[in-house]
Amino acid sequence: MKLELLADVLFGATALAYFLASVLFVAFLFGRADSAVRWAPRLVAVGVPLHAAQICVWSLFLHVCPVQGIHFALSVASMLVCLVYVLARLRLRIDVVGAFVAPQALAFLLASRFVGGVDAEPRLRSALLPFHVVSNLLGIALFTLAFAAAVAYLLQERRLKNKDLEGMDRLPPIDALDRAEHRFLVAGFPLLTIGILTGTLWAREIEAGGVGEITRAALSYVSWALIGGVLLLRAAAGWRGRRAAYGTILGFGLTVLVMLLYLARSMMAVPAA
Amino acid sequence: MILVVGVSHRTAPVEVRERLSAGADALPVVLSRLAARPELDEVMFLATCNRVEVIALVRDDGVDAGLDAIREELARHGGLAEDAELAPYLYDKRGDEAVTHVFRVAASLDSMVLGEPQILGQVKDAYDAAVAAGALKGMLGRCVSRAFAVAKRVRTETDIGAGSVSIASVAVDLARRIFGDLGSHGVLLLGAGEMAEAAARSLSKGARAVRICNRSFDRAAMLAGAMHASAARWDELEQELVHADVVVASTASRTPIVTRDMVKRAMKARKGRTLFFVDIAVPRNVEPAVHGIDNVYVFNVDDLEKEVARGLETRRAELEPAEKIVDAEVKQFLAWTRGLEVQPTVVAMRAKARAVLIAELDRTLSGRLKHLPEGDRAALTQMMESALNKLLHAPTTKLKARAAEGDDAGELAAAMRYLFDLQGIVADRQEQAARAIAAVEEEDDEHLPH
Repeated sequence: MKLELLADVLFGATALAYFLASVLFVAFLFGRADSAVRWAPRLVAVGVPLHAAQICVWSLFLHVCPVQGIHFALSVASMLVCLVYVLARLRLRIDVVGAFVAPQALAFLLASRFVGGVDAEPRLRSALLPFHVVSNLLGIALFTLAFAAAVAYLLQERRLKNKDLEGMDRLPPIDALDRAEHRFLVAGFPLLTIGILTGTLWAREIEAGGVGEITRAALSYVSWALIGGVLLLRAAAGWRGRRAAYGTILGFGLTVLVMLLYLARSMMAVPAA
Repeated sequence: MILVVGVSHRTAPVEVRERLSAGADALPVVLSRLAARPELDEVMFLATCNRVEVIALVRDDGVDAGLDAIREELARHGGLAEDAELAPYLYDKRGDEAVTHVFRVAASLDSMVLGEPQILGQVKDAYDAAVAAGALKGMLGRCVSRAFAVAKRVRTETDIGAGSVSIASVAVDLARRIFGDLGSHGVLLLGAGEMAEAAARSLSKGARAVRICNRSFDRAAMLAGAMHASAARWDELEQELVHADVVVASTASRTPIVTRDMVKRAMKARKGRTLFFVDIAVPRNVEPAVHGIDNVYVFNVDDLEKEVARGLETRRAELEPAEKIVDAEVKQFLAWTRGLEVQPTVVAMRAKARAVLIAELDRTLSGRLKHLPEGDRAALTQMMESALNKLLHAPTTKLKARAAEGDDAGELAAAMRYLFDLQGIVADRQEQAARAIAAVEEEDDEHLPH
């Protein structure tokens, strides 16, 4: 009972930190508070340990491994996104990327309470599952940041091309965004590869072969090929900037679609706890 | 009374301003001459490229003499005929108007480029020089140091310093919006004209390397020597585009020298790395179609001037709130100075009342009450101090309030001096101010936040 209460308190504190960070980011983007961009990332940084503690306490209370079951997957994914963001902003000038990260983390955190069951279907349990989930969640965390950087890049690039510079200083320099996007992709791609490999082996293990499974696998391969192609073309043919940003957004969209299919399947298979 | 006498970019041509200006060598001389004038109680000499001003404190009955003294010294310093060559360009401001002017100048509201930050440093230098020369002793020093606080407040509470307001600063600003830190980026200067030089000088601060490419290699080499840069040959232009990240173009060519095809080839060799052109030449040196290439941005002189106009507009919009801050600060400062005028009366009244009571108390304690133990004596003294404070609180605060409101508190102060027999305490106005400043050193902090 005490663990449950502690988990609830941590959940509330985390949600509050992400919510306040989101409000400050929005205020900054709309030019209402210039100092907000200094405080909002700090609030995200405060939210990360609270969030991690909440996941630990809640999994102890339920006696469930945090990387099994969709209930935790969303929560862990959003925590990882924030963790990667907090670490990345120490080296990259991407503070304002938090304007996407914080609301997304809040949404995933809240969704983790209402979507899916607390445990994986017994049929789906496997030794490969933790590797599959962890690598995919980390990969998605990094692709989320790459996506946010790509969107910010396109906004900045459009302003420069249109020579409409008003509000441009609210976002990081486009070169910094391009670099950040590339680094997140480079870091996320091996994880996506591991996720797809373990997913393929796992699917063979449990003899999955429905239309949904095949569609999901096919989309995973396409997203892997797309992100790999973006990285390859950048290295070989100098595909930077706008083209790389569109490729990143498309790749991220496909990985999110795969995740949504996974969530939908989980929701249909296991009633919400 | 505070006076300001001088010339500025609004009233005098540069030929007059430069003659009145004072460099590091001349400043102590002119300052010592001004400080030696008996008509001026305190004085400061401010010289920037846009203004030359003497700010002084004079006795209320010595305003005309003070103005004459300043004009004489300015004419002497500039080697100008006072009436014919100097008087047409001179302005003077007195009292409240002078205080407002000093605050506005320090806050950069009177600058040629509104909100430019250099003026505050220049006023501080002038203040330091005057302090070092012993020419600032009290009221004027307080006024100028208050002006620093006002300038800081204006900069913090308004966007008067926002935006870029010169072609060079816009170019630097744009480069930073594209690349962030320029430390790992190279700058290429096409042509060796003055405009490009100014922009390149700003851009090269913190840049990895600066290359100068000009039709005349000798001219490029000469400029490179002056700018800690290196020269490149004109026929290597395309190769230079592969390595540079920011290109400032300002040649006198009648046709574009940087073409779309040239940049496309360079971009291929650059593997798509971002390239930024600042084309300040007219006719343009960079084909407009270059801006359409991915990761290439071209800003010509019109684009930059549009940004300059936007920066100036932003600053002008901040003028009104900035003026309000200055007005409020001037009122506060003037209230403080008026408070100074009655302060000697207050101090004398309290000192006299206390002296009388202490004398009476001592006589009683050494007479009829000499048997009292130490504790009771202390209690009696404390009671007397407390009663004194309560008794004098109302006249003190009322007199100060009357002064702060701007009403003529002089009559009231004179009545108090008459009633309490304090007549001989203040005669000389300067002595009065100096004593008052010393007396309220702590108290004024409450009213004049720094």
